[in-house]
Amino acid sequence: MHAQDPAPFSLDPNNPEDAELIGFFVDELPARVDTLRTAAENEDLDSIKRLAHQLKGAAPSYGFPTIGQAAAQLEDCLKDTGINSLVQIKAELDALIGLCDSYAKGS
Amino acid sequence: MPSSVSAIHTRRGLDLGMHTAHNANLDATPLVLLVDDSKFVHRLLVTRLRSESITLHSEYDGKAGLEFAIANSPALIMLDLDMPIMDGFETLRNLKDNPITKDIPVIVLSGNSATQDKVTAFDLGAVDFICKPFELTELRARLRVSLQLHSVMQMLAQKAMIDGLTGLYNRAMFDQRWQEEYERCVRHGHPMSLVMIDIDNFKSINDGYGHPAGDAVISGLARMMITEVRKSDVACRYGGEEFSIILPETSPEDALAICERIRIQCEKTVWPNHPGRTVTISIGIAGTSVEATLDRDQWLGQADKNLYAAKNAGRNQTRVTDFATDSQGLSRAG
Repeated sequence: MHAQDPAPFSLDPNNPEDAELIGFFVDELPARVDTLRTAAENEDLDSIKRLAHQLKGAAPSYGFPTIGQAAAQLEDCLKDTGINSLVQIKAELDALIGLCDSYAKGS
Repeated sequence: MPSSVSAIHTRRGLDLGMHTAHNANLDATPLVLLVDDSKFVHRLLVTRLRSESITLHSEYDGKAGLEFAIANSPALIMLDLDMPIMDGFETLRNLKDNPITKDIPVIVLSGNSATQDKVTAFDLGAVDFICKPFELTELRARLRVSLQLHSVMQMLAQKAMIDGLTGLYNRAMFDQRWQEEYERCVRHGHPMSLVMIDIDNFKSINDGYGHPAGDAVISGLARMMITEVRKSDVACRYGGEEFSIILPETSPEDALAICERIRIQCEKTVWPNHPGRTVTISIGIAGTSVEATLDRDQWLGQADKNLYAAKNAGRNQTRVTDFATDSQGLSRAG
C-alpha cells in the first residue's frame, strides 16, 4: 500500500454540518473498500465501475476531492476495454483503495 | 439509512385524484422526491437541504421512485441517471407517459456531463440537469426555481378549471369531466346520474337585494352542494345561477335522495341579507340505474328537460328520469 498524504478537507471540520458529513463519509469508507476488494477478487468490473462512479460524484461534496479524482481515473480506465489497460485498472484501483484506507484509518 | 427525513405527506394530484375543486390544496412545504442509488447522495442532500422548506423523500431505484411518485404526486423529482433495475432515462420516460406523474417537474442528476445525456434528458421532458459533484448553492437555487415554476403552473391549472366565486369546477371543466365520466359509464356499464340545478327567481334576489346578496346565495348553495356530494362526484357551476353535478356509480334514486337533501336545506336556510326571503331551487335528474342507453347530449338534454319540467310545475321540486326503467318520478316540496 502506498500511503499518500491525505489532501486537506475542502469542508470545515469545525462547522457542525460539515463535520457530520465528513463523519458519515469516513464511517462508510471501510465497507466501500471491502466491496471494492471483493469485486476485484471476483473480477466483477460492473460493481467496481458502479462504486467508482458513486465515489467520483460524492467524495468531493464530502470534502474528499482526492478520492473523487482517484475514482474518476479508475472509472475512465474501466471505460477503455483494451487488454493493456488491465494493469492500469489494477493500479488505479489500488490507488483508490489505498487512499480510502488512509482516510478511514486516519480518522 | 437516514429514515428520519422521510416524512411523507400524501396528497391528491390535480387532475385525477381531485374530484371537487374545493379540496385542492397548494402545500406550504412541497414534497420533493430524490431517486438515486447512492446512499452518499441521499445523505448529502438531506443534510444540505435541511434549511430549505421542503419535505425530502428518498428512493433508491427507478422502479421504487416511479411507484412513490404515482402514489404521492410530489412537487418535484430529482432523478439520478445511472441506476440499476430501471435507469434514469427509463424512469423519466415512464413518469412522462403516466397521466398522474407527467406534469411533475424532474431535475436530472448525473455524474456524466456529456452533452448528449443533457439533450436526451431535456427531450424526455426534464426541466433541469445538474452535474455531480454538486455545487450546493447552485443546486439549491435551481431547486427553488423549479419549485416556484411548479407552484405557478399548479395555480394556473387550478384557475383554469375552477369557478372563482364558488370554488366549484367551472363550465369548461364540467364539459371535460362529463365526457370522461360518460365514457367510463358506457365502458363499465355502471349506474350514473347527472343533475342540473337552477335557483328559482334568482333575478329578483339580485334586483331586490343587490348583487352581493345574489353572490352570497350562489356561494351558499355551492357550500350546501359540497356538503352533500362525495369525493368521486363532480360539482360544477354550470353558469350564472345554474349548477350541475355528475354522480358516478349512483342510481337516479340515490341521486334523488342527495338532491332532496340539498333542496330542503336550501329552502330552510335563512339568508343574512334577506331573512324574510327564502331561496328555493328546481332540480332535474337524468340517470341510469343499470347502464347507459343514450348518447351524451341526449342525456344532458333530458336532465335539462326535467329541470324545466320542475320549473313549469311550480318550482322548488325535483324531476327524475331513470333510463333503465324509463320511469319518471316527481318529488315535491314537503
